[in-house]
Amino acid sequence: MSTQQTALKGTVKERAQLALNNDFLRQAVRFTTERLRSGKLKAAEEHGNWDEWRERGRQIRLHTIAHLDYYLGEFATNARENGVHVHFAATAQEAIQIGLAIAQAKEAKSAVKSKSMVTEEIHLNQALQSLGIEAIETDLGEYIIQLANEAPSHIIIPAIHKNRYQIAELLSEDAGEQLPPETSVLAGYVRKKLREKFLQADIGVTGCNFAIAETGSIVLFENEGNARMVSTVPKTQITFMGMERIIPSWADLEVMATLLPRSATGQKLTVYMSGISGPKRADDGDGPEEMHIIILDNGRSLQLGDPEFQELLNCIRCGACLNACPVYRHIGGHAYGGTYSGPIGAVLTPALKKNVAEWDDIANASSLCGACYEACPVKIPLHDMLVSLRRRKVEAGHGNALESAGMKGFAGVMSSSKVYHSTLKLGKLGQKLVVRDGGIPAKIGPLKGWNSHRIAPSIAKKLFRERYGELKAELGQQVKANAEVEQRMQQWLKGRQDGGISHE
Amino acid sequence: MSEREQDWLKQLDEQALSKQEQFLDMIAAKLKRPRVKQKPQRPFSGAPDFWQQYELSETEKLDMFQRNFEAAGGYVLHAATLQDASVLIAEKAAELKALHILRQDEEPLARLGLEQALPHVQVRCWNNDETEDWKARAAEADIGVVLADYAVAYTGSITLLSSKTKGRSVSLLPTLLFALIPRSSVVTKLGEVLKQFDELGRAELPAGIHFVSGPSRSADIENDLTIGVHGPGIVYAIIIDDII
Amino acid sequence: MRLFANYGIVLEFPNVQTCCGQPAYNSGYWEEAKAAAKTIISAFADSDFVITPSGSCAHMVHHYVEMFKDEPQWQEQARKLQGKMFEFSQFLVGVLGIKDLGAHFPHKVTYHPSCHGSRLLGVKSEPMELLRNVRGLEFVPLPFAEDCCGFGGTFAIKMADISGAMVSEKVDHLIETEAEVLVGLDMGCLMNIAGNLRYRNQPVRVMHLVELLYEGVSNSNEHAANGA
Repeated sequence: MSTQQTALKGTVKERAQLALNNDFLRQAVRFTTERLRSGKLKAAEEHGNWDEWRERGRQIRLHTIAHLDYYLGEFATNARENGVHVHFAATAQEAIQIGLAIAQAKEAKSAVKSKSMVTEEIHLNQALQSLGIEAIETDLGEYIIQLANEAPSHIIIPAIHKNRYQIAELLSEDAGEQLPPETSVLAGYVRKKLREKFLQADIGVTGCNFAIAETGSIVLFENEGNARMVSTVPKTQITFMGMERIIPSWADLEVMATLLPRSATGQKLTVYMSGISGPKRADDGDGPEEMHIIILDNGRSLQLGDPEFQELLNCIRCGACLNACPVYRHIGGHAYGGTYSGPIGAVLTPALKKNVAEWDDIANASSLCGACYEACPVKIPLHDMLVSLRRRKVEAGHGNALESAGMKGFAGVMSSSKVYHSTLKLGKLGQKLVVRDGGIPAKIGPLKGWNSHRIAPSIAKKLFRERYGELKAELGQQVKANAEVEQRMQQWLKGRQDGGISHE
Repeated sequence: MSEREQDWLKQLDEQALSKQEQFLDMIAAKLKRPRVKQKPQRPFSGAPDFWQQYELSETEKLDMFQRNFEAAGGYVLHAATLQDASVLIAEKAAELKALHILRQDEEPLARLGLEQALPHVQVRCWNNDETEDWKARAAEADIGVVLADYAVAYTGSITLLSSKTKGRSVSLLPTLLFALIPRSSVVTKLGEVLKQFDELGRAELPAGIHFVSGPSRSADIENDLTIGVHGPGIVYAIIIDDII
Repeated sequence: MRLFANYGIVLEFPNVQTCCGQPAYNSGYWEEAKAAAKTIISAFADSDFVITPSGSCAHMVHHYVEMFKDEPQWQEQARKLQGKMFEFSQFLVGVLGIKDLGAHFPHKVTYHPSCHGSRLLGVKSEPMELLRNVRGLEFVPLPFAEDCCGFGGTFAIKMADISGAMVSEKVDHLIETEAEVLVGLDMGCLMNIAGNLRYRNQPVRVMHLVELLYEGVSNSNEHAANGA
């Protein structure tokens, strides 16, 4: 068993094509994201003052990231005081090395895992399995896709792309008997199966939603109870956390607990929110005897000090941008080709890798509609970041040759109205050959893709700029003075001079 | 733990400390400033000001808790005294033909007298015998009984703090959970509970702090809501007027 | 122009203007976008108010300030332009305080709020207020109105299939409303939606809000002339 390691081939465009041709996938993704999105909107509205909460959340994240060295140091010190072994890993390889060293020292045979994007990012399961240690995903959706040998396609609902029949088939194979495609039966089977695994496992692996600097605690949000299992039953707990997960205090957690569940699923709070401050106390009857926290960089620090991308570290991994994104809804998570999908993935994947060559591909899969920004509980300007990625690629000389030539031409044409005007005229002349009934249906040249779904409009017979002169002359006679309107305009002008009224 | 293992751990910790310094220096360098070693000034912390003022009356709190907890799939019952609560639990246990009950080792829960009320059921008390495998006992229990430290009206949550006498497994492994909530421990908003942890400080915190808002659930299979995936599938909150 | 003339406002059309540069900006070609931006800034240097029939173009000007961060003189100019640049309905309702043009338009109409205009520029209530005051107009809300139509400028060319799936979904919702007319504030989106409607041979008429209001005012004038 391994979570999907076959490298994703082809371009985003090609992978998107596969998704667009898969009707079930499109329906399932649309249905789920629609449900989550309306749940989020309802929860935000019900709670009230949503923008003030977002702004507060953003401020807390901005402050923490701007002082990350302090807060991370404070967290590590306090966690150690709690009895935790805290480790720092600059790369995925280092994190894996530390994790494996611990597992080997414990002579571990199996590890149970709760949902963690970081461990997906570093491909922990494969590493554990290479040492013969069984790694078991225990979130229902993660367990299913682990059986299917795939990667999660949504941050919150990893098996969003599978239907109950496919799931029944996978679980039947696992069970060695035929299970009916009924949700309660299937979930019941997984509960029973994983109970045994929890009780046998030597190691529990968790991610970390938030880490509280002042008390060295980690906080986990979940609905199933598997993260509680993983952090209660096995003797050794290993928590992997991205270095940016920090918040200063428990009081700040109230803001995150307000934003995260509402944005993710529309819940007021997830069924379980657990704050874990170290291994079990000496006389406690349960909880891990030994606890490790591995703090991971793996490209995160590349965003620090970069004014265009530092805010990326504010992300709380709620998935709201995926649910709001019309592109994600049509192509699903796998088309993005990385651990993180949707708008956040389109920015985060290239940003973590600082891989210029890969930038354009993923960053182009957006219409820049801004729905992600609007949905984001900490107001990350993802649509602006996508433009920045595109710009950096062009500046680094990785632009597409044809497009570069086109844009050079664009600049030439747009810097001179004369040239612009004659280009339009030339276009009018050229289109005579292809216009049918006022539109251009032919699937040729750059319009090939456009015209597979639409008919392109033709340029007007007479351009506005050609008609403007006569229109102005005609209206010159008709203009009726309007005192009230005049006064309002003067007021605005005056306000602008005083530096008072301005509009954003 | 063997001596060899302890040495190895110590070595690992030392490596981590030096790595930590490099790590934090690198962050400061990336942020183009020296390391910040003093606690930074913050213009604010926690929830927005208007929220700090938000406060419900006692009846409103109880109503809101009930609404939210039930909306999440939990059940809310009311009892005047511990004796009343004991009757409610005993009835349910009989109805479901429970064989094993596990309760936390707390004095008010002892006073429920479940052992007497349910003579045919094995009622155990968490961690009162060092030789017992308590996780296994929790896993076999049909019903877990806990006393909530707090309940939060606005989110419909109960708060459970771990200790020697209060196992985390008792609220997690049994099929059904009863949580007793003293009426006076219900607060309006999450922040009221969270701030107490800031005030207590690191050294006083329990290892596990758990907020539970209804039964375990998942919508991972075709968005179809399933209850009781890993944690208890049935959760009763009993609000008790008077615990004495 | 005809609409504004009724309120004593003469619109100038500096013939030297071209395009705001957004296609180049969004594709990452900032140098090329700057060339266009300079033309626009110069073209409107002497105007008190600049009005555009596109929320997207109006918002693009907000990026100029950032684009010219290394050219302070141009940046100052860009800031000035941003202060006086208005999307059409924003100017009409917000600056002039005109919400009722006395238009008459007896049709079933639905409205697509373009992403850049509504989400980024914040023009949300203005077009609705203008539509509310059109006599005879029956407004039907568009399901999932805020969803992007899939235009996104060069996105529609580069990621044609994804864009096509998006516009098809938009038009599905549009057909559900049984509206006769779809009105909007951005020619890019309208062209995109109209193209898909034509491709599917759907008779819905696609209009810019300015067109609708102009036709509505003309209807009223005719009505008055006939009645008199």
